Amino acid sequence: MRRIELGLLYSRSGSYSLISEACRSGALAAIAMVNADPSLGLTFLPVERDPGGNVDAYAPLCEAILRDTGARHVLGCVTSWSRKEVIPTVEKFGGTLWYAVPYEGFEASDHVVYTHACPNQHLLPLLDWVMPAHGRRAYLTGSNYIWGWEMNRLARERITAAGGEVLGDRYLPIGSREVGRMIDELRYARPDFILNSLIGPSSYEFMSAYRALGLVDPHFLPSSCPVLSCNLTECELPALGPAAEGLVAAGPYFRGVPGWPGPGNFGSSHEAAAFSAVRELARLLAHRDGAEELPLSQLLAGDRGPGGIVDPDTHHTVLPVIIARVEGGAFTPIRRLQAVAGDPYLTRGRTAPAAPMLKVVS
Amino acid sequence: MKRRAIRIPELGGARVIILHRPHPTVQALSRQLTAIGLSVIQAWPELGPEALAADYIFFDADMGHDGMFPWDAGQPPIPMIALIGSEAPGRIEWSLKAGAHAQLLKPVGDNGAYSALLIARDTFDAQRALSVEIADLRRRLEDRQTVVRAVTLLAARGKTEVEAYAQLRQLAMAWRISFEDAAARIVASHGAGRDGTGKDGDDRHGRG
Repeated sequence: MRRIELGLLYSRSGSYSLISEACRSGALAAIAMVNADPSLGLTFLPVERDPGGNVDAYAPLCEAILRDTGARHVLGCVTSWSRKEVIPTVEKFGGTLWYAVPYEGFEASDHVVYTHACPNQHLLPLLDWVMPAHGRRAYLTGSNYIWGWEMNRLARERITAAGGEVLGDRYLPIGSREVGRMIDELRYARPDFILNSLIGPSSYEFMSAYRALGLVDPHFLPSSCPVLSCNLTECELPALGPAAEGLVAAGPYFRGVPGWPGPGNFGSSHEAAAFSAVRELARLLAHRDGAEELPLSQLLAGDRGPGGIVDPDTHHTVLPVIIARVEGGAFTPIRRLQAVAGDPYLTRGRTAPAAPMLKVVS
Repeated sequence: MKRRAIRIPELGGARVIILHRPHPTVQALSRQLTAIGLSVIQAWPELGPEALAADYIFFDADMGHDGMFPWDAGQPPIPMIALIGSEAPGRIEWSLKAGAHAQLLKPVGDNGAYSALLIARDTFDAQRALSVEIADLRRRLEDRQTVVRAVTLLAARGKTEVEAYAQLRQLAMAWRISFEDAAARIVASHGAGRDGTGKDGDDRHGRG
């Protein structure tokens, strides 16, 4: 039986720890499943490092995993900022990062596998839903780093191209709760919808203040002017409480929706994407002695088995697109689209047919 | 001058040529470009005829030499990106003379191609727009003498300089041509011994 070390680089504290914990749970559940499956002929031994929500700790801790342990594959990172910090390290050591969080696209590293959604799998279908349903006048918010900036740039491009209008575009530093100015601007701008690309406490504070605004001015009730998100999932609903009611989110999975990533119940798409990453790695390594030492490109090129989920050109995956609204504390799907291949540079056409949805083979 | 907004080019299906001998740098660059969504052709030591259908060119600045491109030096019809290994001043100078719009340092690794494509495209578009504007301004500058002669000819018929200038503007509008072209007609018709401002002349010029 091969024992293969597997790095886990998730922050167990800090402003986005709910997402890290969801990813970590999904990874640990998949590791337990792999370890209990004798047909794979391998077991994973997790090697954990905790950056504690400090962006500058990611690269050194990733280096420690790749240098000091046998692990060549690391599951980890939540923010795009931390992912960009880690990429030079995995490149230097010939390792691979498995990234299980929705992100803003425009990246296809030779050393990263992206198992959650990019904009053609979340933002663009969400805008396609909201503009006919609610109108084309938008207000954009985001956290002050690449995720918020790039999501809002792309949203502005698409909304403007559709003949819509962006009434405001406002950012907060990660961790900031200063949402008063956004709420004041909203009261005057009176948009048709709001795109929320804030993360962590900024997002929780904004949602809570927006709910209060809706109670005094019915224009701001979710039925009239909804808040949209491409990164809020069930894992953050406890922190949002009643403020989440009416939120509309896009993602590849919501609790209870069957299909991706195969049989099983997952708490959120974050959990599901991390689960699917570990299962895919196990499938790629099974019955290939020494494959755990290969760089990602060779690991993928030598894959002879059926059921591969990683596109060898982009390292993105085919994912369902589900748009769901929070009703009574849980997401209810309101639109389900055909699974679509990740198109990180938006160069492959929005209507390009996806490869057939393949099941993970156990 | 206010900088215009960058246009994100349509890269899906665009054709790119890498002019470089077979090398791991070519492999790494091809991987990046394929992931972005372009189709890649490798060529060395010369560009083939397929260069004329390409949308972008990455070229080796280390081994590059004059005459490797099928167009006049420094006049590339598409955006060019220099692949620079040796940062020797002579090589950088040659790359610029060849018309490089952006550069990517060797060895090429996991990233850099996307920003090089966008910067090269934007620089190319900006240079082209400026060239058109400069050519137009230069032509108008050269025509200034013609305008002075036309105004003098019109003023010789008893008008003030200001009235002659206004008449020339009206003629240009009536003929639907530029101010400078109208001046050239006045001067030419005078040289041919005809009065460019007469009614017959108006008619003829108006349909020319």
